[in-house]
Order: sequence, then structure tokens, then C-alpha cells
Amino acid sequence: MICRVCIGFGKHSPSIGRCFWRAAMGALLLSMVAGVSLAGAYDTEPALPVDLTELSLEDLMDIEITSVAKKAQKLSEAAAAVFVITNDDLRRSGVTSIPEALRMVPGLQVARIDDNKWAITSRGFNGRFSNKLLVLMDGRSVYTPLFSGVYWDMKDTLLEDVDRIEVIRGPGAALWGANAVNGVINIITKRAEDTQGGLVVAGAGTEERGFGAVRYGGKLGQDAYCRVYAKYFNRDDAVFASDEDASDKWDVLRGGFRMDWQGSGPDALTLQGDLYNGDTGETIITKSLDPSEPQTFDEDNEISGANLLGRWKHTISDTSETALQVYYDRTERNSVILDQVHDTLDIDFQHQFTLGQRHEIVWGLAYRSVRDDIGNTFYGSWDPDTRDDDLYSGFVQDDITLIKDRLRLTLGSKFEHNDYTGHEIQPNARLMWTPHKGHSVWTAVSRAVRTPSRTEHDGRLNITVLPPGSLLPVFPGHVVVGVVGDGDYDSEELLAYELGYRVQPTERLSVDIATFYNDYSHLRTLEPGDPFPEMSPSPVHLVFLSTADNKMEGETYGVEVAADWRPLDWWGLKATYTYLQIQLDLDRDSGDSISVSAEGESPHSQVSLRSSIDMMQDLSLDCWARYVDDLPSQEMDSYITLDVRLGWKVRENVELSVVGRNLLDDRHPEYEPEFIDTIPTEVERSVYGKVSWQF
Amino acid sequence: MIGKKLRLFFIVWVWVLLSIGYNLYAEPPSSREYLVKGAFLYNFAKFVGWPEEALRDDQIHIILCVFGKDPFRGALASVKGKSVKDRKVVIKHCATLDELEKCHILFISRSEEQNLSEILAKVKNWNTLTVSDMEGFAQSGGVINFVTVAKKIRFEINLDAAERTGLKISSKLLRLAKIVKDKETAEH
Repeated sequence: MICRVCIGFGKHSPSIGRCFWRAAMGALLLSMVAGVSLAGAYDTEPALPVDLTELSLEDLMDIEITSVAKKAQKLSEAAAAVFVITNDDLRRSGVTSIPEALRMVPGLQVARIDDNKWAITSRGFNGRFSNKLLVLMDGRSVYTPLFSGVYWDMKDTLLEDVDRIEVIRGPGAALWGANAVNGVINIITKRAEDTQGGLVVAGAGTEERGFGAVRYGGKLGQDAYCRVYAKYFNRDDAVFASDEDASDKWDVLRGGFRMDWQGSGPDALTLQGDLYNGDTGETIITKSLDPSEPQTFDEDNEISGANLLGRWKHTISDTSETALQVYYDRTERNSVILDQVHDTLDIDFQHQFTLGQRHEIVWGLAYRSVRDDIGNTFYGSWDPDTRDDDLYSGFVQDDITLIKDRLRLTLGSKFEHNDYTGHEIQPNARLMWTPHKGHSVWTAVSRAVRTPSRTEHDGRLNITVLPPGSLLPVFPGHVVVGVVGDGDYDSEELLAYELGYRVQPTERLSVDIATFYNDYSHLRTLEPGDPFPEMSPSPVHLVFLSTADNKMEGETYGVEVAADWRPLDWWGLKATYTYLQIQLDLDRDSGDSISVSAEGESPHSQVSLRSSIDMMQDLSLDCWARYVDDLPSQEMDSYITLDVRLGWKVRENVELSVVGRNLLDDRHPEYEPEFIDTIPTEVERSVYGKVSWQF
Repeated sequence: MIGKKLRLFFIVWVWVLLSIGYNLYAEPPSSREYLVKGAFLYNFAKFVGWPEEALRDDQIHIILCVFGKDPFRGALASVKGKSVKDRKVVIKHCATLDELEKCHILFISRSEEQNLSEILAKVKNWNTLTVSDMEGFAQSGGVINFVTVAKKIRFEINLDAAERTGLKISSKLLRLAKIVKDKETAEH
């Protein structure tokens, strides 16, 4: 029986070791699920709380009748650099995509490459293929293992139904996996019972050619709520630095559903899914061996995908709760560089419980299987072109109350086994000191790793082709220059030291300061190799390849400040300041000449200031000014920009808004991408109008 | 053709749904739920006004009756004996229609769903605050009905039914409730 299960998993017959691992994992997970469900039948009576008749009506209405072991920790009590973008922030800032919303977070570097591509990172090392940030949507990882990064043009949702976006800078607390090296972004959508009724949103503008979305939520029977939505947008081309119109349009049709069920028993279930299909354009400079092929052309990337996610929470007792999450995700992306299909199955089990008076423990086990299928081209080839990878991981965390309400120590670690580097361990320790209500100081030490991506291990990218005679007058053929991965490529390592301070001097003002010192080792370098002749594709050509290696070390340090001040009842101000310094050093034996430029690819300082005014009953005015320092390695100038939104609640359930963006400059560039020669476009001044109707 | 991963996804979820089904069947309602509902009943006594005639018979007690299979099972212990407007709360359990007496508050258990119209007819002239937690109770003529929304207790109030029973409900209670109307009933 076990072997039949094994053979069912893989295309080829797996080795005995792997077969055993899978069987063991499967048996362990299923028996835990079974054990947990049987345990529920022997529920212990919850401890009788204080006399409930003493409570007010409002308090009674707030009690959860199936209680959770871990009182959802208020983010202000987390021993980490946390920032939350609320639904209101999303609405009032006038952003139309998640990357744009991330600009208001201190510690994140967000740069637009073209209308549908972004370079987003936390605490340095930015790039289109930046790889040190983990992004989750409702617990589902949305990063691609191809380059350990995020295809931001594929990740979107109905922003009106986003409850909040939690951003944690720094190595993710032990609960998330490898690759949460510099931060975790968690996009959390609203529960179905909070999105009941209908919503129609539509708008158009100079850059946003047109967009519309519809959502409807209803009740299914006694205890279940659901919603379905569909969203479409079409974004115009921007302009090149040369003033010509570009072809970086972006249009996507997306739809999905969510269902939440909560019975009177100890179980709660969530099921959600999305589907999308669209096109993103870009202008690529490709060089090929065939002189008749165009050098610069506009191409359309086709993107499509689907996912299904289920989450089951089970309360064992007043002090113990389990959660099981299973999701399936499929993404397809076709472009001139490569065609790729990714299939992911992820099973994640967690158990949290209190032990005695002082310990709150969370532990979990997870299994992820990713299978990819890549269509190789001259520009990008992967060997093997299809691969099935398994990731096994587990974590444990103990939250210890040393002095009640004053001092809390959290110790934890994540363990994993992956198909590239084998075993990895990422421990961390955090301490939270609250000397006085309204002040808290926290500090943390963590180790994190970024495991190799598929490309760093198996890929080869031909970046450019030099015509005959240009490099070596002696050699009559073409010269191909590229980069190639290596089977021995190791994980990048980080040892992070963080210190933060939170204070709320008055009810109207709160300030959050986070500082960090990161010590990196085994950072990626590209070591030039000796040239060699290659026969195919013809004609014969000379190849210069740089091989991925880990010969760079670095240190980064910085300060991130976020302040929230409400000087008047109708006027709120939110300001953030980010300071970042990067120092990179190559190993003595490295021949790399480009990786150190990452020092100047993130701005040294950034400022964001948002003002929200509620004028009269139904009008709201929001202004958002941003300053981003220059990028020396790219000779990219600093810029200041301003967005303004005017909103008008025509009726209780209808809101009109007009949003002007990047108003200070006709247009400005933000980033030059790496590896794939996409010509970047500039961000233009734009305006759009939107109507939002709820029924 | 369903891929292997998708197949596995569904297999895991069938297992999960079976486990949940088992729990639903085996699990008695959490008594925490009825502790909260009991506290609500105490609050209803505080924020509801009875007409003079209803209070004349018994000057010292507020009578809280539970009709049908008792879901509280002791959860009313903290309500018993408490004072509301100088009256002590007493709890009575009634199993049959004949045992129904003049109660100030009558909690009708879900077990009595079939006899609902008979029960409501019997207490019609007694100025009784009828409360329950069965679906559609308020629309059927009951005054207050408990509903559970995302693990928290909420309640619906049928103002017409309250009026018919001669009760005055404080605005403190009304503004926290979902107001409900009688459903159209076929003429009998």
C-alpha cells in the first residue's frame, strides 16, 4: 500500500529513501489529523471564567464561544519590526495594485521597472529578481522557486476585500520558511462574513485605461458564508526615457471565491480559490545568433494560473488549537525567454497550546511538492527542464513569560530538508521588555538562509550576443555572454541583530523605531569562466559564461521609523523614514565584477508622508508625498513625487473618487532591471476616476 | 484530467471533512455558549420592562422558565438568585405545555421546534418575554432569538412581537440587536 502511494507521486520511480520519507510524512500527517479529531471527542470542560453576569452587553457580544489557545497577539506586542497596511490605507491612498501599496512601508524598497514589473525588496538587495523577501497571500506562498522571487505582475486580488497587509521586516519569525531572509509580506483577505452583499467598482483614467470589479457575498445555510468576485483591468503603456511610447501594457481578468464555515462545534473551515488569465507586455532587447531576427521587440507575456486553498481549524480545548492548511497552486507563464508551468502542493499542520502558566508553544510540520516544466529557449535553458522537488520542514516556538506583562522571551527554530542543499536550521531568539504601559523595547537575534533557486542550480541565461569581430578581432564568429547555475551553489546565510522601540506618548501619537545590523555570508557572485566553443545552435560561436558561486560577504545596517499622529479628530498624519547602508566585500579568490554594485542599487534614504483629512461629512482628501534617494550604481536620480486623492461619499453606499498620481513630474524613471534586457519605462503623471457602489 | 497534486489535495480534504463530520456528530454544544446565553438572559431581565399586571402576582421574583430539553445544564447557576430591580431571579424547568405557567422570561429550547406555534399561542396573553436560539424564531413570533455569527453571540429582536406581548424594550438592548419582522403567515 505504501509503495502504491509512492509510485502515484512521481513520474519516475523514486529511490527507496525518498519513498520512505514520503510515506513517513504522509502517515505522520494523517495520523495527527486523526488523533486531533478523536481528541476532540474527549473535550475537557473549559475552566469557568469570572461571573459573566458582571459583564456589559457589549463585552458579552465580544466573547468567542470557542476560544483560542493563543490570544491573537496584538501586533504592537510583537518582538519584530512590523507594519500593517489597513483596508482604509489601501482605499484612501488610491493605489491600484499591491506593489504600489508597499511604498508606504518603512524598510521596503519599491521601484517600478515598467508598467507591470517591479523591483521590491526589504532591507537591500533589490532587483527584478530580488530573492530575500517571502510573500504570502492568505498563507499561500506566491514566490516562484525559479528565481526565489515574486512575479508581481501575476499576484493581485480585489483590493477592496483585503483586510490588511502585514509586513514584517527582518528574518521572519521561525514560523515561516527559508527565503524569508529580509522580510515577510502577508496579504490577508477579509473573511466571507465581512464581505456580504454586493460591490461594484469601476473606473478609468489616463494610465488605467479601464478597470472594473464585481463581488457578491451571501450566506450558505446556517453557519457558512461565501463570496465570489471578478476583476478586470487594462493598463496603458508608459513611455521610455527616449520619449517614445512603450509596450508595457498589463491586462488581466481574474476571479475567485471564498467560503468560511463555523459550526457551533470546535471546527472552522475556510475554502478559497482564484483563477486568472492575462497579458503583460514588455520591450526586450534580445540578441541572437541569427542576424535576421529582430534585436528589439515588443513581446506579450501570457500569464495564467489557478489556486485552491483549504484551512481547517480545530479547537481541542480552551488552551489548545490545531490548524491544517492544504493548497494547490498552478501558474503558467509564456514569454520569449522561456515558457514555464509550476504545480505546487503544500500541506501545513500547526498546533498551539499553553504549557503551565508561562509557556505558549507553537509547533508544526509541513510538506511542499513543486513540479515545474520549462520550455527552454536560446535565451534561457534549464537542465533538467522538468523537476519535481520536495521540501520537508518543521518548526517549534516557545513564548515564555519571564515576568508577567513585562518581560517575554521567545525561542524558536525552523528545520527543513530541501532538494538543493539538504538540511537547514534557522534558530532565533527574541526578547520583549515592556517597562511601562505605552513603551516597549524589543531585541532579536536570528539566523536565516536563502536556499538556491532553480536558476542558480540548473539554469543558463544567454544575456547577450556580440557580433563577429567585436570582442576578439581574431575570432570570426559570434560571442555569447551569459550566466550559468551550478550544482554546488550553496545557500546564502544571514545573521541578523535587531533592536526596536515602540512608544505611545499620547492617545493620538505613536512612534515605532526599528534598527538592524545584518551580517551576510555566501552571497551570490558570478565567477567568469574560460571561454569555450559551442556548436549548437549554429553557427559555431564562442561562449563566455559566469558561474554562480557564493563568494561575497556583506553587512547592512539601517533604521526604520514609522510615526502615526492624529493632531485633530479630522486630520491624521502618517510618516515613515528609512535609512539603509550596504557594504559588500568579495572573497579574495573571486573574479566577480558586478555583484558589488548591489551596494548602490538600493536608496540610502526614503521618506513617506501621508496626510488624511475628513472634510465635511462626505468628503475626504488624502495626500501622499514620497522621497526616494538616488541609486548610484544605476545613475538613477533621486525623486520626489506626490499622489492626491479626493473622495466623495455621494450616498451611504456609493463613493466617487478622483486620484492624481506622480503629480510633481511629467515622468521619472525608477529602476534598471538586471539579467533580462527589458527596457525600463518611466513612471508618468496620471489621473483616474473611480466609482464604488455597495448593495 | 486531474493532475496528481490536485488529486492529493482532494484526498486530504475528504479526510478532513470526515473528521469534522465525526466531531459534529459526537460533540455536544459547548457549555461556554450557554454560559454566555445565560448572562444575556440576565441582561434581558435588566433591560426589558413588563406591564404592571404582569408584575402584580409575584412581587419578589423574576421567573425565568426553560421549556424543553435543557441546554444550559447548570450554566444558569450564576444567574439564579441575582437581583434585577429588587427582584430575585428564580429558574423553573417545564417539560410539557401544561406545566407552562406565567413566566416573565421563557426560554424555548431547540427541542421544541415542532411545537413552537402552540407554545407561542399559550403564552400570548401573559406578557412573557419569549427567547430562543432556533432558526427563524423571531420571524415566527418570538421576541428575542440568539444567533451565532463567527463564534460570537448576537441576538435578533422582533419589535412587533414585543409590542403584542406588552413589553417595553430599552434602547440599550435595541441598538445592539438586529431588528426582525414577522414573516408573512398563511391565513389559518
